[in-house]
Amino acid sequence: MNELLHGFADVLSAQNLLYAAIGVTIGTLVGVLPGIGPALTIALLLPVALKLDDPTGTLIMFAGIYAGAMYGGSTTSILLNTPGESASVATSIEGYQMALRGRARAALATAAIGSFVAGTISTILLTFIAGPVAKLAVSFRATDYFALAVLAMVAVTAMVGGSLIRGLMSLTFGLFLGLVGIDSLTGRARFTFGIPSLLDGVDIVIVIVGLFAIGETLYIASRMRDLPAEVAPLEPVRKGSFAWLSRSDWGRSWRPWLRGTALGFPFGALPSGGAEIPTFLSYTYEKRRSKNKEEFGKGAIEGVAGPEAANNASFSGVLVPLLTLGIPTSATAAVMLAAFNYFDVAAGPQLFEKSPALVWALIASLYIGNLMLLALNLPMIRVWVKVLQIPRPVLYAGILVFATLGVYAVSGNIIDVMIAYAIGLVAMFMRHLQFPIAPVILGVILGPMMETQFRRALLLADNDLTVFVRRPLTLILLLLAVAMIGLPHLPRLFARKRLAFGEED
Amino acid sequence: MPKIAAGVLLLAGIGLFTQAVLAVDERGVELGGPTLAPLIVTGLWVAVAAAYALQAFRAEISQITEGVRWWTPLLLLGILIGYACVLKYTVVGYVLATAAFYFGAARLLGKGRERITRDAIVAIGLSVGIYLVFTRLLGIGLPSGVLPL
Repeated sequence: MNELLHGFADVLSAQNLLYAAIGVTIGTLVGVLPGIGPALTIALLLPVALKLDDPTGTLIMFAGIYAGAMYGGSTTSILLNTPGESASVATSIEGYQMALRGRARAALATAAIGSFVAGTISTILLTFIAGPVAKLAVSFRATDYFALAVLAMVAVTAMVGGSLIRGLMSLTFGLFLGLVGIDSLTGRARFTFGIPSLLDGVDIVIVIVGLFAIGETLYIASRMRDLPAEVAPLEPVRKGSFAWLSRSDWGRSWRPWLRGTALGFPFGALPSGGAEIPTFLSYTYEKRRSKNKEEFGKGAIEGVAGPEAANNASFSGVLVPLLTLGIPTSATAAVMLAAFNYFDVAAGPQLFEKSPALVWALIASLYIGNLMLLALNLPMIRVWVKVLQIPRPVLYAGILVFATLGVYAVSGNIIDVMIAYAIGLVAMFMRHLQFPIAPVILGVILGPMMETQFRRALLLADNDLTVFVRRPLTLILLLLAVAMIGLPHLPRLFARKRLAFGEED
Repeated sequence: MPKIAAGVLLLAGIGLFTQAVLAVDERGVELGGPTLAPLIVTGLWVAVAAAYALQAFRAEISQITEGVRWWTPLLLLGILIGYACVLKYTVVGYVLATAAFYFGAARLLGKGRERITRDAIVAIGLSVGIYLVFTRLLGIGLPSGVLPL
């Protein structure tokens, strides 16, 4: 607790508050752009933020960017029905319907206030859980880390998207990209095809820019005609409402906010693919037990309040394994980890021992970012609507310019730019063929981590493979991973998913 | 579509797996060595690609390729590559290359002949703006080229 207060003291300097404000504003600005999610926002802004030369300030800015990008994403889902990432899909179902029926402000407000409530509660949970988990994690050995990485990868692959085979294919592609370069233990080149600049491996920023920015733009270019271009109009503010929500809206929203938080945080903290599952569970749950069942599909406010809360709560949850174990369980977390690496800040149990000031400043800045978001965004909604109305050609040509610039600024190497383009081409086909994107990124990040821990464990155990089954914790984690592969085949879960996506909506 | 993809995936997988096998030297595959992971990953690739091919040829995968215009993304990729090459290998410089690329990309993505002026103005404003912000404010060097900036 004392440490958190120190964190607040660090963050509450004028400069850091400015960073947080800039982060929230830029994050929302970029997040509002259709098709751009938090992961890409952070990846594109990484080269800029790296110039700050101040790890604490940069991380605070990232926290702001993330919060802003999430909020911007929900605005796009509600007003334009183009969710930037799978976690906002549930929000767009009811949110867009509300907007079409002249309730856009109510939908935006319940999303924003729900995000604030969920973000604050789950950050409090993070505050109390992170320390103890980090203490526990100090006793983790190489075998445990190996097993954890396996579990995280398998869980995300099995949970994201509809097909296990396509998920595995995406994961394998990511694992392969992670292999490219010099082997860190022996100095041997692997899959470099004689190209010198591949010796350093494929940078995560290049992968993310390729997968999201280039891939998304090429995909959009191939089906420009199918996209909705009309932004739902904002209705005038109604009398007798507080923060755009009427008395009955408040009454119908607060329980879904809390239930969404309760779903989002644990799902985020467990390696289960971040926010996709809890948002859909929340949507399905609210739909099932709502008194206004007939309104679902025609703009029920519960269907916006619950998933948005779940989405935000899950991010604080995702920070638990990221900060305490150094294991990312969502695309955005993977980018955050890459950002840590740029500053030579190693996420993991040592982080809490070596740089506690940094961790607690980050956690404190999450509280502040949340508050700032609420204060900035609802009043500025007209600005965001203007951003949404930017014509598509202008927008996507601009994204390509910034994507190229982002890669070029990181590496200054044309081969890296070409690799990003190639990955973008692959990503376009992946989107057409419905291969999930997130497992690729986790493969790139977790693959090398997994291999290093595997080999370290074997080195310590004199090449004795039973080291992975002798330790109970390792064994349990590995068995969980095996169980995860079977999970999507449970017909019940499938039925549920279909219910959420189904024709009746 | 899925059938072609399955074929490409399978071929690429086999090619990479062969590479991984060829990388194994006379010491053989060591458990803690550098050749094990490539074998596992590319082996998994081949297996998963085969499973995908099976699905594709049994037509278990639905096709959503109606109304897709493949030429637009391919042309776009073409001018992207051209843009990067001009940036790297010529003395045209960042501002001119970016303005030209942006204009081309925006025209390609747009629906027709309308709004040429808009695209041109944004192209020049954006490229000059980025150049000034990056070189003057952030201290990241960009090729200045033939313009006296």
